[in-house]
Amino acid sequence: MSWELRNIAIVGGGMMGRSIATKVAQAGLNVSLKEVSPEALDGARAELEGALDHEIDRFGLTESEKRAILSRIRWVTTYDATADADLAIETVQEDYGQKRQILRELDRRMAPGNPIVINTSTLSITELASDNTHPDRILGMHFLYPVTTTRVVEVVRGQLTSDEAYERAVEFARLLDKVPIKVFEMPGFVTTRVLLPLVNEAMHVVMEGVAEAADVDLALKLGFEFRTGPLEWADRTGLDRVLNWMQHIYDENGEPRFRPCPLLKRLTRAGLLGTKTGRGFFNYDADGHRTDRLADDRPGLT
Amino acid sequence: MKILVLNSGSSSVKFQVIETDLERMEAGRDLTLAAGQVEKIGLADSRLTMKVPERPPYQDYREILEHRAAIGWAIRILTDPEHGILDAVTEIEAVGHRVVHGGEEFASSVLITPEVAAKIDACSVLAPLHNPANLRGYQAALAALPDVPHVAVFDTAFHQTMPGHAFLYGIPFQLYTKHALRRYGFHGTSHRYVAYRGCQMLGWNRDSKRIITVHLGNGCSAAAIDHGRSIDTSMGFTPLEGLLMGTRSGDMDPAIIPWLMAMEELTLHQVNTMLNKHSGLYGVSGVSSDMRELLDARSRGRTRADVAFRIFCYRVKKYIGAYTAAMGGADAVFMTGGIGENSPEVREQALTGMEYMGLDLDVQRNAGLVGREGEISTDGSRVKALVVPTNEEKTIARDVVRVLEGVMPTFEPPESFDS
Repeated sequence: MSWELRNIAIVGGGMMGRSIATKVAQAGLNVSLKEVSPEALDGARAELEGALDHEIDRFGLTESEKRAILSRIRWVTTYDATADADLAIETVQEDYGQKRQILRELDRRMAPGNPIVINTSTLSITELASDNTHPDRILGMHFLYPVTTTRVVEVVRGQLTSDEAYERAVEFARLLDKVPIKVFEMPGFVTTRVLLPLVNEAMHVVMEGVAEAADVDLALKLGFEFRTGPLEWADRTGLDRVLNWMQHIYDENGEPRFRPCPLLKRLTRAGLLGTKTGRGFFNYDADGHRTDRLADDRPGLT
Repeated sequence: MKILVLNSGSSSVKFQVIETDLERMEAGRDLTLAAGQVEKIGLADSRLTMKVPERPPYQDYREILEHRAAIGWAIRILTDPEHGILDAVTEIEAVGHRVVHGGEEFASSVLITPEVAAKIDACSVLAPLHNPANLRGYQAALAALPDVPHVAVFDTAFHQTMPGHAFLYGIPFQLYTKHALRRYGFHGTSHRYVAYRGCQMLGWNRDSKRIITVHLGNGCSAAAIDHGRSIDTSMGFTPLEGLLMGTRSGDMDPAIIPWLMAMEELTLHQVNTMLNKHSGLYGVSGVSSDMRELLDARSRGRTRADVAFRIFCYRVKKYIGAYTAAMGGADAVFMTGGIGENSPEVREQALTGMEYMGLDLDVQRNAGLVGREGEISTDGSRVKALVVPTNEEKTIARDVVRVLEGVMPTFEPPESFDS
């Protein structure tokens, strides 16, 4: 193998960054996880360990596997510590300016040719890469949360992405035991573009008074064997993020079918952002459990 | 002849060099010249450890990314002028490979040809964690030693003599024909060796006796060996069935799985690791999967440790009773594996109260026997109970000799049924 995949740098210790870091370490690769300050790192580390403990409680992981995962993660605050990365992934929020800055910092330090991956579900890879010195090594990967269990990842080719960088990212996806879906850049790619209008339509149904939110979710959950209904999915994702994506897809292609539902805007403006604020379409306790589940919305034992 | 024995896992390779031939086998004078392993393959700090009799243990670290490099490293150390035991690699005359799953294809050890390797690969669907690693080890060893014969020795082969009523599950028959879904059993090399060695200790011919072998280690299984043939064993389609183990549940009601998946909304992965890694001695006791730590906690009055210990021993007792019934009586019970060889407490709890079947445990003898072979039943006991330390590597080396000399016993294919 002319190119080795051993050291992966991840910029951003948010929900996606932590989840990707866990999966990468589980696959036996070394991770450098970068945050802006020691305090932010401590927070990220505590959250990541908490998620591992939760998975142990759910029998999906053992204590020794947890130790092995943690032993492969290096917690860093400088870009210099990412210089040895064979592949780097940025996972900060969906913001052009911030992501651009990170791409430049990584590009300046990493060995030539090693891919730099943008984790995004809607932003333009081409636009983000355009002012970079080496836009050919920049591409997108859209990981779905939780990264440790979802088997799919969209590998996104921008206008300037080289075949070499792209194939390396596909190889990386396979190392993570994921199925890479090859897509060319277009707002929302495949998963977000198809899913969001469904979620948006569920919100319209509620707004029009056709059915209660809980019934809308239950109908789709039981009817199509969804693990969660679309509205609870939106709550868990964060209504502000859902609105952000929806708005972006709408702005990019201007088609009315992607117009964000006014109810989504209203709830977001009211600060009812879903699970993280305790209230969105539904109500949640401090541990994120829904407190208003219908009697019919429980596991079937037959 | 000097034989290299390899046991290749996904991230480790265990190796031994054993000197044996038909004459040495007959006299029990097989020699283990060196035993070692390469661990943490794929990482920067892979470790090689090796023990040679009468010498201090050797160990070294380096980055080893795959099996070929691991086996190359092992051979380099084996032929090292200072630390090694061979003058040249050409002293190795044959290689024996442990292969976990032989499916219904292999009922005895065989010379590995390209066709055999393809069949081993085809069995990977039955042992997705083990067979691919075994094959990687074989391919790496073949590249390093292309001019010597390589022999495969299967964990499942010995149990291929089980009759249909022992190897079929009571589920729709087409699942057997479609997926080869049936009971296979594992630890076959250990059960075969222990039955042979125990009978040798007693001056018996194994092929004329009814023996129950109990292998209690990380994994645990019992086997009923009737006149030299395994007629039943406690592990099944996978090594999860049967006795309680360190972290595996052993027997349980399969209806628990869908019930729990619905009730706790567990995924397939979670319920699978629950049964394989969170259960057994560890899951029940909450203390440890290690019997020594469990016994320690039990002696300090931890009741969950005590009940885990009792489940463990009770299952052993139950299987011995079942296999006695299956064979219409038993002549001996042989205990082996890390726990079977080293825990008088487990043996006493499991083997007391068996006078009904003619087994009379000698509590004093049992208590005094740790980590070595010997008898633990009374002189007057009609059914003999022995501790017989297992030696799978020696059995693999001996099978290499048997295959090369053309004296490997073969068995008829499994029972067939009308469709």
